[in-house]
Amino acid sequence: MQAPAVTLEECSKRFGERLALRKATLAVEPGETVVLLGPNGAGKSTLLRLAAGLLRPTAGRALIDGTPAVDAPRALRARMAYAGHASQLYRGLTARENLALHARLHGRDLELDRLLADVGLADRADERIDGFSRGMLQRLALARATGHDPALLLLDEPASGLDADGRALLDRALLDGRDRRTQLVASHDADLPQRLGARAIRLDAGRLA
Amino acid sequence: MRALGRPSTTVPLILSLILVPLTVVLAFWWTGDDVDQGFSQKIFYLHVPVALASYAAFGYGAVCAALYLWRRDPEWDLRSYVGVHSGTIFGTLVLLTGPIWAKASWGVWWNWGDRQINVFLILFLYYCAYFMLRFSLDEGERRRSASAVYALLGVGLIPLSFLAVRIAETLIHPTVFTSSGAAMPDSFLVTFLVGLAGMLSLMALLMSVELRGKRAAARLVEYQRAARGEDA
Amino acid sequence: MIGPALALARVKLVLELRRREVVFAMLLFVAATIVIVHFALRADAGAGERAAAGMLWAAIVFTAVLGLLRSFAAEAEAGALDALLLAPVDRASIWLGTALAQFGFLVAVEVVAVPVWWLLFFQEGGPDPVPLIAALVLADVGIALVGTLAAALALGARTRDVLLPVLVLPLVIPIVLAGVTATYAAFGEEGGGFGPIGPLGFLALYDLVFLALAWGTSEHLLGD
Repeated sequence: MQAPAVTLEECSKRFGERLALRKATLAVEPGETVVLLGPNGAGKSTLLRLAAGLLRPTAGRALIDGTPAVDAPRALRARMAYAGHASQLYRGLTARENLALHARLHGRDLELDRLLADVGLADRADERIDGFSRGMLQRLALARATGHDPALLLLDEPASGLDADGRALLDRALLDGRDRRTQLVASHDADLPQRLGARAIRLDAGRLA
Repeated sequence: MRALGRPSTTVPLILSLILVPLTVVLAFWWTGDDVDQGFSQKIFYLHVPVALASYAAFGYGAVCAALYLWRRDPEWDLRSYVGVHSGTIFGTLVLLTGPIWAKASWGVWWNWGDRQINVFLILFLYYCAYFMLRFSLDEGERRRSASAVYALLGVGLIPLSFLAVRIAETLIHPTVFTSSGAAMPDSFLVTFLVGLAGMLSLMALLMSVELRGKRAAARLVEYQRAARGEDA
Repeated sequence: MIGPALALARVKLVLELRRREVVFAMLLFVAATIVIVHFALRADAGAGERAAAGMLWAAIVFTAVLGLLRSFAAEAEAGALDALLLAPVDRASIWLGTALAQFGFLVAVEVVAVPVWWLLFFQEGGPDPVPLIAALVLADVGIALVGTLAAALALGARTRDVLLPVLVLPLVIPIVLAGVTATYAAFGEEGGGFGPIGPLGFLALYDLVFLALAWGTSEHLLGD
């Protein structure tokens, strides 16, 4: 199955009086990797959440393969993943239990041991994650987001809190996904597009440059 | 959004101006005094139509809420809000006229055995909470859908509250209607129906005026945003 | 649909077993409420069955609200709601899983609170336990369903903590009315009412109506 395309058509999002994103138009081709650069508060997270279908546009449209992202059918949601600022994990569960829940919700039988080993958490797998550092949580979030091998991956500043090893791990995951899925990554790292050989898009004060 | 057209204010205005005074005239000079309750029964021609108009407004609010969830057009959200709001304003009037009637009929300001007014109290509390929900969410998509879902839940609560209070009741509301029809003289029925039509016209007037105001306010915000260079 | 809901409910119960944040607080709260209502009504053992019944139901409803305030707390902590919303499951299962967990908490509280209530007010005799338990279970289902609905609506509201009780309490008044009537009937009191369906039938009807309404609106309940 082909990786899905992500399209934003004059997409705006307003929170109360604050206009977080203004008429953003963007086309990510199937299988393409795009890096979204911009300062804090530029609207990167809003754009990603709109693309994921977690937010409903105030005006314009956010589409995945031509369907509004907010109405993405289950079959499509099964093939996508989004990881944001928050780890999206249950703090009172262990690393393994968190991934097991993820697998359960996706109706998939995932090799949890391998996934945990891949992100270097094999020996902490059965610890509750409320004791985890920011970097470890970020690793686990990455394992969760890529574990079911999604065809569309949306990542919001995935490198924050990661050490050098962690960043290398993340780069590998993104490079590995480059020819298998559509990837849209928000980042502060200006070198990331070059390392991934990806298109860069700049967002400033809610506007795409 | 504009496709829904402008709600007319002229027609309900004219109807209200005719029907509401007419109800007063009919109630005081045409209908005789009630056999049981005497003169105090006159408030029936105000209290009951206001209550029914209030239910109609809540129903209208729920229908518009469903339409909003279906079509996602902010206009339906505005209409749903206006429906619930007008229903609550009329509801306040019901809760003011109810005790007056209760005092005259039963000698107490509040009769906990009167099922109608107690159901009304439940619903009034419920719809008051609507405004708290609505205004503690930021203006936007989330506020509109949460308000719509809440307005729709009322469709379940209204009949269930009636059922609960009706079958658990101990005392009986002064029944003017029974299941076999209206147990009152024709003059009472006609006056009541005129009163009901008058209150529904007044309700329609209130809603269309408020809707116009809300739309104007929304347009003003749009212009302000456009002036700031924000075109969405 | 049911599978993911059960998985989610299980997670919430496991979290509660580990952290003991909700049920313990609910137990203390229900005890305090019964004591306060008792003193407020001067309801000594001789004050009558009606006072005891009213006390029980008032305490249950207020305690349920306390639990509901925490119904999406685990998701709010680290944004887990996003993961649930994007998972290939119906949104109804997220709501249903949460409601199931709330139902579990309520039952856990009542397993302790109801026998204590019984001992405090009925040294001998007391209501027929079967209809009382049936009423409690049906009422717990309704409170969990409706309360979780309201909690989902209040998510993201600025005043969530004060908003939730205001949203929930008017919705559960019919449950209280039917529950109290069922309890009177369990005392063998005649004329409680509720006609042909009885208070238990009414509670079941209430549960079904709100189940259907929540089902129909579940796609709009959570998320933007």
